[in-house]
Amino acid sequence: MPRVPRIKASALCALVFAALAATEIRAEDIVVIVNPAAKAISKDQIADLYLGRSGGLTPIDQTAGSAIYAQFYKQATGRDVAQVKAIWSRILFTGRGLPPKQLPDSAAVKQAIAANPNAVGYIEKSAVDASVKVVLPLD
Amino acid sequence: MQRMNYKLKVAAAAATFVLGTMPGHADNTIGQYVTLSGFGTLGEVHSDYRQADFTGEFLQPRGAGFSRSWSPTPDSDLGGQADLRIADGLTGVVQVISRDDEDGNFRPHVEWANIKYAFTPDLAVRVGRTLLPTYERSDSQNVGYALPWVRIPNEIRFSNSATHSDGVDVLYRVKTGAVIQDLQVQFGRTSEEFSGAVFHGKDLIVLSDTLQYGNTSVHLAYQTMIYTYSVLPPARFRLASGGFTYDPGTWFVTGDSNYAHYDFFGDFFAWYLSAGMRFGRFTPYVVYSTEHAPTSAPPSGLTALGDERTVGAGVRWDFAKNIDFKLQLQRVNIETQDAPASFNNVQPGLRVGDKANVVSLTLDFVF
Repeated sequence: MPRVPRIKASALCALVFAALAATEIRAEDIVVIVNPAAKAISKDQIADLYLGRSGGLTPIDQTAGSAIYAQFYKQATGRDVAQVKAIWSRILFTGRGLPPKQLPDSAAVKQAIAANPNAVGYIEKSAVDASVKVVLPLD
Repeated sequence: MQRMNYKLKVAAAAATFVLGTMPGHADNTIGQYVTLSGFGTLGEVHSDYRQADFTGEFLQPRGAGFSRSWSPTPDSDLGGQADLRIADGLTGVVQVISRDDEDGNFRPHVEWANIKYAFTPDLAVRVGRTLLPTYERSDSQNVGYALPWVRIPNEIRFSNSATHSDGVDVLYRVKTGAVIQDLQVQFGRTSEEFSGAVFHGKDLIVLSDTLQYGNTSVHLAYQTMIYTYSVLPPARFRLASGGFTYDPGTWFVTGDSNYAHYDFFGDFFAWYLSAGMRFGRFTPYVVYSTEHAPTSAPPSGLTALGDERTVGAGVRWDFAKNIDFKLQLQRVNIETQDAPASFNNVQPGLRVGDKANVVSLTLDFVF
């Protein structure tokens, strides 16, 4: 009789781990992309752009709650989600600009990049196709 | 079958309603032109010093200590902002904020209201009201979520009588290799009410330069204006400031300083130094700040205005999305009888050398 709950508990654990693994994304699986007609861009430039230090190009974000968003900022800027929010709050509430537009998934990011030669974005490596150009692996 | 049909219809109607009201889906209507956002702080401050009220800035008439043991007024605020996209390169911003003011109430006032035209991505002109870039964080001093501490050290705020300008400013961004400079020239006028009289500033000019090199930033500014206060004849105000921040992400160190000169009131020198370290969602920090009036005898006869020094330590806890909790402990050494920078409502029992122990708790949020 005591065995039944134990089995249930381990099954639940397995399920939770599976769910966690599914939402996790490694840095080496993310690439920075631009329009095929755009110039190359360095990692330092990416950090400046996504932390609002420089303009000129249009950074595009994934959803703030997504795993790819958190991993991208951690790897590209060394900051976690709350720190990024604090930095953009300062820029926003001093009237200096709006944070990057957030799109729902990699397909939407690709579409936006393909349509705008000044746009920069990041997607899973597996989602890359001919409509965009990879400028930088993230690791 | 009919039942199922009905369920489907309800679901479809609900989905349409939800999608239709989601901000991300309003792109083709008003969302294209207006972005709404806001920030706020809920705070409580306790001071064990009974001979004066500890305040969140020198304009506030009351705080914690003399009037009451705990007070929500020093740090609590609420701000709302509308960003407008008018045309290509033409944008506007309006920000209204409610915060304990010189009248001791939370009457909302317009903090920002300007129209900006960007000639290029690096060159823009703004017309209207802006907050002055007098010191490193002066233009975002009320946005608790954007600050590492509960509040900007009171000492650095004290010598800075004007916080906003109504006028014109030019923003120019220069890139030299990996160094990015944001240059700002501002012309305008200002007025602020404190201690029962109005402070008017005209011929206000501010030059500001923010240099960024990766995780390092340096802020330099110079400000000058002609001011009148109460029945005093027009006099000049000058201020020079320099600050820096190094923040690679896992820790930070930052400092700021300003030297102000008022014909009549004399000179003021204030600075602070702070460092913190990030451990996941927790960011403990320490901060030392001081204000010191070096002039021996200004025409006002008021010497050592603002003098005090503060040692503080605290922690920021990012416990949920877009909201943080902060706890800050401070010990303030009072070094003047006239008007220590952090205090108002000074009682006759205040003595130079007195110490105040202050505890501050805040919840900061953005939306």
